Amino acid sequence: MEGLCCGPGYASPSEAIRAPSEKLLYTIAIYTGTGIQKPDYLATIDVDPKSESYSKVIHRLEMPGIGDELHHMGWNACSSCHDDKSMSRRYLLVPGVRSNNIYVVDTATNPKVPRIQKIIQGTEIKTKTNLSGPHTVHCLGSEIIISFLGDAKGEAPGGYLHLNKDFEILGRWESSMGDILFSYDFWYQPRHNVMVSSEWAAPNTFMPGFDLEEVGHLKYGRRLHIWDFEKKRPIQTMYLGEDGLIPLEVKFLHNPNSSHGFCGAALSANVIHFWKTKNGSWEWEKIIDIDNEPHPDWPIPIPGVMSALLVSMDDKYLYINNWLHGDMRQYNITDPHNPVLTGQVWMGGLLGKAPIVNGVKIAGGPQMYQLSLDGKRMYVTTSLFSTWDNQFYPEIRTNGGVMLMIDCDVKNGGMKINEDFVVNFGNEPNGPSRCHESRYPGGDCTSDIWL
Amino acid sequence: MKKITIANRNNATYEVKGNKPLLLELCSLGVDLPYGCQYGGCITCAAKLIKGKVDQKSQVALNNRQINDGYVILCVARAKTDCTFDIGVESHDKLYRNPFIDPLAPHELKADIASFREIKND
Repeated sequence: MEGLCCGPGYASPSEAIRAPSEKLLYTIAIYTGTGIQKPDYLATIDVDPKSESYSKVIHRLEMPGIGDELHHMGWNACSSCHDDKSMSRRYLLVPGVRSNNIYVVDTATNPKVPRIQKIIQGTEIKTKTNLSGPHTVHCLGSEIIISFLGDAKGEAPGGYLHLNKDFEILGRWESSMGDILFSYDFWYQPRHNVMVSSEWAAPNTFMPGFDLEEVGHLKYGRRLHIWDFEKKRPIQTMYLGEDGLIPLEVKFLHNPNSSHGFCGAALSANVIHFWKTKNGSWEWEKIIDIDNEPHPDWPIPIPGVMSALLVSMDDKYLYINNWLHGDMRQYNITDPHNPVLTGQVWMGGLLGKAPIVNGVKIAGGPQMYQLSLDGKRMYVTTSLFSTWDNQFYPEIRTNGGVMLMIDCDVKNGGMKINEDFVVNFGNEPNGPSRCHESRYPGGDCTSDIWL
Repeated sequence: MKKITIANRNNATYEVKGNKPLLLELCSLGVDLPYGCQYGGCITCAAKLIKGKVDQKSQVALNNRQINDGYVILCVARAKTDCTFDIGVESHDKLYRNPFIDPLAPHELKADIASFREIKND
């Protein structure tokens, strides 16, 4: 048929799994908050095992100024545009959490040497939409929405920036924030006309660092929100209480027919599973509860701090991290109500289980990760956020961040740290930097959504 | 004019007017300072005030313990008198603390949620 099968991405998750293996990674690296007066940058990492520069940073795209704190990013197009031959997955949108700038990076002209195509100035975003603190980037068809955690003065709940495919500001995406207190991550599942969003805190609360007492003063989130995606307004709140303190990353299964999704509650170190019931309302349950661990120097046991969460493209495995404990876990979620632990590895962390991995002293713990489309290679980085790093892992200032790769057994379950791969951001030319989120040019497990 | 001394930069001195945020004034004089949000909310530009007075009423990033330890958010703080600072991450020794090992007392929280300090009568 005319117009079909020519756009970006893949016709289905199963087609995505069969795509060629990734050869390049784009990973953000920061100097903000490190004491090194250099811009944050987008690192191109060679992940082709046949290449001579395998496991090395082969290019660094510096941002124009200092102080952005690059953090998360997203593509201009994904499989939700697969039927649109006028679209291509060409541009990475890279927001600066602190500067409010959004950098549109062209990765197609020369994939190894991406370049900045356009800058959406933070001041323009504030003036036109009263938003600051950008976080998650998703495309919806040929348009783009980006969650922001605050208003122009850094107060919650923020909202959503709406861009067209030429990266022009259309305004606010949502028609209402309802009674939402905080914003953070979001994901949508068009066949159920649903979006789900989670809660971190106001930029003025989380940006300076983490004060535990502010959780008790209700300055941090503990709710998930179900949205009517077409009407762009929240319709149901799920109050998670003590089970869901600081609910961060939220994902639906990749199967576009499924209504099952998961959220990692960072401070409670729980996985929350949610789904649509037969009568159309949404329910949730806690399916994984990571115990706090005792530490000789701590007056209270250490919480895991489950700061991220990822579902494999075949929807068989759920991956979680415990940033303060230092472990990555793999669960079989064939039955989403009853996950089964199938793999675990250790890197860094405060429990001292794996202080040195592949010859590198790990400052920090497993924090952000990206999984290959076939589910076999997981790339993990160690820095969370500059100010929070400085509180929990002050040695990261001199050691920098690290990227490791985990070989994942997709058939029988299991994880093993690959001994041939390590990118030590402590050895960067301008001094130790900290690596965070990664994306692959051909799509990955946190980018693609199917209509 | 106010004289600004940067103690941990060999006591370098600069003259500022005091009518603009110190970050702007010092950067325009060639001082290389870290910064992020530029509205007083993110702590990246924090410096430690050793001597002098500033007006930083519009900052929202510091808790009361950090203020009591002398921290100043340069992107919004204006000099009221001659001041001496330590700048950059070398001055951040008390800015960051593990919140589980070293919790804040109620009066040490940020201004909007802090309780007044109890005065004990001996």
